[in-house]
Amino acid sequence: MRIAVPIALILASLLLFAIGSAAFPGVMDWAATQQRAFQNEMAAAVRAIKSGAPAGWAALLLAAGAYGVVHAAGPGHGKYLIGGVGLGSSVPASRMIALAVASSLAQAIWAVVLVYGGFWLLQLSADNLTMLAEQWLAPASYLAIAVVGIVVALRGLRNVLGPKSKVPEHAGHDGCGHAHGPDPDQVASLQTLREAAALVASIAIRPCTGAIFLLVIAWQLDIKAAGFAATVAMGLGTAILTSAVAISSVALRGMAMFSGRRAGAIGVAAPVLQIIAGVMIFWFSLALLSISIL
Amino acid sequence: MKRRFGFIFGLFFGIAFAVPAKTHPHIFVDGGIDFIMSGQETLDALSVTWLFDEFETLYDLASRGIEPQPDGGLSDADRETIRAAYSDWPDDFDGSAHLSIDGEVIEMAWPDDLVVDLVDGRLQFTFLRRLEEPAILTKKSVEVAFYESTYFFAFKITNDPAFAGTDACAAVVVPYTPGEQTEEVKQSLARLGREETPDIANVGQLFADRIIVNCA
Repeated sequence: MRIAVPIALILASLLLFAIGSAAFPGVMDWAATQQRAFQNEMAAAVRAIKSGAPAGWAALLLAAGAYGVVHAAGPGHGKYLIGGVGLGSSVPASRMIALAVASSLAQAIWAVVLVYGGFWLLQLSADNLTMLAEQWLAPASYLAIAVVGIVVALRGLRNVLGPKSKVPEHAGHDGCGHAHGPDPDQVASLQTLREAAALVASIAIRPCTGAIFLLVIAWQLDIKAAGFAATVAMGLGTAILTSAVAISSVALRGMAMFSGRRAGAIGVAAPVLQIIAGVMIFWFSLALLSISIL
Repeated sequence: MKRRFGFIFGLFFGIAFAVPAKTHPHIFVDGGIDFIMSGQETLDALSVTWLFDEFETLYDLASRGIEPQPDGGLSDADRETIRAAYSDWPDDFDGSAHLSIDGEVIEMAWPDDLVVDLVDGRLQFTFLRRLEEPAILTKKSVEVAFYESTYFFAFKITNDPAFAGTDACAAVVVPYTPGEQTEEVKQSLARLGREETPDIANVGQLFADRIIVNCA
């Protein structure tokens, strides 16, 4: 029975993965079509701001926010990482949402620093900036996310093996509030601010190309404040979608834990879920990495 | 200090440029392909049209510091600036028109005769791709796919294909439909050589609009 639950979980995850991949071209195509529409609206709004139309700002912020939502529905953008961590850890939904929002906003701010800083301090060209984002920062982000995936999977593995390797004298203290060595729950959660920061950074290293394009336009047309505000709006849009992923992953984890508890295999369900999530994060980032560098 | 900084950045970008970019679409290109024939049955060249989306047009012009003329067009100097910039095609550019005759991939020369224009606020390119050897199309299975192997660009055929120099040929545009492909396209895909087998690195091909040509 103990072994049946993990197997069921693995099968369920593989099924989810398969459904996800099958829907992939359709989702990607839908996201691309929407992205194009909102991109055009941003262009129109920028022209409106340049010509002094008062409604330009509102139109730009709305279009940029909507662009953030649909663009995040495409591949990449740390969704897998947030979803995977949500699935394979014991971080509560509220903190997962905070992580999703923090990573999206950090990504937006980093784009502003990169483009405005690159133009102002280093006199880089627009092409340099997009090349930097696409060819260096994107692979760097995928690699960093892959590393997080490995860490999550290894922790799961350690939790599976953990109870057996526990030092005997600690056994009697279990459950009386002593925190000798990390228990599975602690290991599974994000324990420190530093870990949360690493997670946010692995996503944020790679600025959204759409944001870079918009910021280049804003800098060159001298509507820098509008460009900054629109990029933050874009980040908030991305945060909406990533938060939705965070909530679903926590809900999915809850269901898996519930069925694990009913089957009397709660001790195994959590770490196995963690291993699957870690491997999935690792796998997705390697796939994205191979697309980005091959 | 300044020099060292420059060196490091030079090194950095030197390596960066050597790696081709492949990711999801940010640049949307409408357009199409016309067929330049000599005589009723011989294909000499493809004339390719790109019409960029408004956002990319804005980005391209802004990043070069170009403002459209009052009439909405480009000055000759600006046109030349853009033409010169794009005449040096990047390494990972693969021609955007992919021609096959009876399942065989036909080699074409690099883009030539690039003409740049601004049409209703959108940047338009037309360029020629000449066949290495003119090819006879009569009673052959001819197909042109419109894509770049990088998915950074998303291409869509929006112009009806035209034939210059013959009335013996007709063309049908087969747009890519998400989640389904027509039997015709599946067969054409199957006819393509093994080298052309879609893989993840050539993701653009999977989403390509195609033109099927029929010459009596």
